[in-house]
Amino acid sequence: MGIYSLSFKNLRRRKLRSILTMLGVVIGVTALVVLVGLTTGMTSYMKESTGNMMGDILIMNSTGGGALMSSPGSSFLDPEAVDEIKNMSQLYNIKEDVEFLTEFNGTQIYIVGTSDWSQIKINGTSGVVVSKTLEDMGYKVGSKITIKDQEMTVTGTFTEGSMGMGVVIMDSSRALPLNNNKSSSITANTRGDPEVVKNEVEKTVNGTTASTKSDLSKQIDDLMNGLTLFIGGIASIALLVGVISIVNIMLVNVTERTREIGVLKAIGFTNREVLGSILLESALIGFIGGIVGLIIAAILLQTAIILFGSQIGDIKLISMLPLWLIVGVIGGATGLSVLAGLYPAWRASRLNVVEALRNE
Amino acid sequence: MNKTNVLEFKDVWKIYRMGGEEINALAGVNLTIKDGSFTSIMGPSGSGKSTLLHVAGILDMPTRGNLLMNGKDTSTLGAREQARFRRSEIGFVFQRFNLLPQLTTLENVLLPMNQPEPQKAQEYLDKMGLEGKYSKTPNQLSGGEQQRVSIARALVNQPSLILADEPTGELDSKNAEVIMGILQDLNKKEGVTIIIVTHNQLAADFTDKIIEMRDGNII
Repeated sequence: MGIYSLSFKNLRRRKLRSILTMLGVVIGVTALVVLVGLTTGMTSYMKESTGNMMGDILIMNSTGGGALMSSPGSSFLDPEAVDEIKNMSQLYNIKEDVEFLTEFNGTQIYIVGTSDWSQIKINGTSGVVVSKTLEDMGYKVGSKITIKDQEMTVTGTFTEGSMGMGVVIMDSSRALPLNNNKSSSITANTRGDPEVVKNEVEKTVNGTTASTKSDLSKQIDDLMNGLTLFIGGIASIALLVGVISIVNIMLVNVTERTREIGVLKAIGFTNREVLGSILLESALIGFIGGIVGLIIAAILLQTAIILFGSQIGDIKLISMLPLWLIVGVIGGATGLSVLAGLYPAWRASRLNVVEALRNE
Repeated sequence: MNKTNVLEFKDVWKIYRMGGEEINALAGVNLTIKDGSFTSIMGPSGSGKSTLLHVAGILDMPTRGNLLMNGKDTSTLGAREQARFRRSEIGFVFQRFNLLPQLTTLENVLLPMNQPEPQKAQEYLDKMGLEGKYSKTPNQLSGGEQQRVSIARALVNQPSLILADEPTGELDSKNAEVIMGILQDLNKKEGVTIIIVTHNQLAADFTDKIIEMRDGNII
């Protein structure tokens, strides 16, 4: 029966108070993990997608704003530029892709011309594949669909990655003529270092910008790190508020238990032991609150995956909750709670025994 | 038989400042407590008897003078050693029992033990007539029972000295008699050295020696 087991008993003694104090930590941790988890999941999903990018290099119109920032269907490569690129001896396996918006039955739909069907999960066969939104409008396999006065037959449907938009995917060779043969981007393999070829492309072909796989990965990192930091910062405020309430409650606890602390010291516990037991008590609030918050966040994230997973792509819970986030958030909540307990614990340990024993 | 001195007060002063005025709670006390003795300290409120007990228990340090415990000068002890010393050498019994309400009877007794030995703690509780009440919490016990738990807690580390501050102050006369009987037994049968502070003449009558205090000194 050491003084440290008292810390556990004290938490249970004022259950409601302990639970409410923990709730502050739980809310902070949940908010932090959900928000950071979502951006982390997005990051790994985006990186995975670019990792699957065909070829070594991606070439786009330089006014488009780069591979990640361009709004779809707004900027295209000139046919002359495309010809120049095709003539470059450093490039081979050159594929044109096109993405554009077009009017369809009074709404805008998104046409994607692809040369790589491998990343698209299709019910049916490749050819002319429509998203769930269009499927809901009655376009099923075998239906006729007219895009820019061209009638085609739907060969398949897909559910993932459409973000609720009407999307039609077809071969680039079929989509290009619908966009006046203007392509959005070119992917190609390079002979030699992609970095060198990239510079050559940008120099030789006016109005183009090229990215290598590592460029894209870095762009994603830059973008998402900034986002994670910003979102994490906001969510941390919630955690901080929870932690401040620990300072408050521990001060109340210590004041309330003044006489008990006097007794502990009278029967031979050292100042350090008293300090340690109160720090442990507040660390437990943070630790338990952190675990509960993490569990709730995991449930929320999994729910989000189940509800919206088909809309945003194949994201797994594990990629939203990397180990660093779990360890960081539990460690952070516990560590901050220990800090929160420092002042109350120090006050308790410095209590004068005789005065503490006189306390009503 | 030549008994050793458990406690020696040598010209012990304890001076408080209150509103610019100096109060001599202890004014040069000289007192020797022999091993195996049973002493009560009586006197009106403010006579310094509680302060004497606090100084004896190393809960409070003298302003001047020395307190020797088993021949060792306690003024040389640091805060940490004082705590260790209290744990091993002194057992406290308080007027208001001061059991920890969140702990069971058994846990309260186990609390000060360096190596928790539930068997030993139970033996002390049995000795206090508390068999079968190990898992009761203090609020499930009567005042007399709580005070017996606190005596068990004070005894469990086999200290050289038991200090009791008004041990019967919150008890009816029947329970007061039981508690004093227990303390007397401990002293007579097991040779435990005990000092009590009390207002209660009936309690003091159980002890072998009564010390009267007035204005911070022994009369």
